[in-house]
Amino acid sequence: MPTVRLRDESEYPQGVRKLFELSKEWFGHDFKQPPAMSRVMAWDPGFGGPHGRAMKRAMGPGEFSRGEKEMVAAAVSGVNACHY
Amino acid sequence: MVGDALWYEAAQVVGITNALNVGADGLGAAGLTPVEPARASAEVRAVFEDIQAFYGSAEVPAPFGLIAHDPGYLADVWAATRHAFSDNRLSRRLKEALAFAVSLTSRSAFGSAFHLAEMRRLGVGERGVMEVIGVTQMFSSYTKIADTLALEPDMADMAPVDPTPAPGS
Repeated sequence: MPTVRLRDESEYPQGVRKLFELSKEWFGHDFKQPPAMSRVMAWDPGFGGPHGRAMKRAMGPGEFSRGEKEMVAAAVSGVNACHY
Repeated sequence: MVGDALWYEAAQVVGITNALNVGADGLGAAGLTPVEPARASAEVRAVFEDIQAFYGSAEVPAPFGLIAHDPGYLADVWAATRHAFSDNRLSRRLKEALAFAVSLTSRSAFGSAFHLAEMRRLGVGERGVMEVIGVTQMFSSYTKIADTLALEPDMADMAPVDPTPAPGS
């Protein structure tokens, strides 16, 4: 059970909801609700904005492909014993 | 990265990397001394030579020297390591990147230095190194945010299930 109430997409301001569209594009998946992490990061765009840009910068194609980087991310999450 | 086989391979790399790091960081600090190649038995020397050839180095990496006091154990750990890190469905280059990320995440001084050097030896440039560092840092952040807020998984159904049977069946 999350320690905070995750807000429904409709509870966010219009400008922030645009970020959820970008999230769908990033994952290439039509979520019923934006993923919990997207909604958490959208709570405070002052943090979520630059954090998300840093993530996209790191995950974009370069010497390693996006797919390879998703695998690295999964390994890091596993070592951190993160259930999410 | 579709299909379970890729992920089984990645898991092998993560597992054995952690095992090697535990040995290198823990045993050295505990005062255990590695077996020197020059003083090794013929059985151990043969394994050492295979290790040196695999890494293209005259050095025997610390985790192997430290466990060479039991030649049979050394041979089995090396066989598993060699298998996990060899080019297969995943490239050795990507496997070293995974091992570097795992080592950074688990704060292994040995593993971070060793796998960074291996990435570079296998042709990964500074940009590629920064990419792996960036992914490692960002997902170390996301995971802790998720844990702090006890978020429940909600993205598991994005990828299709692999219906293929186990190898050899």
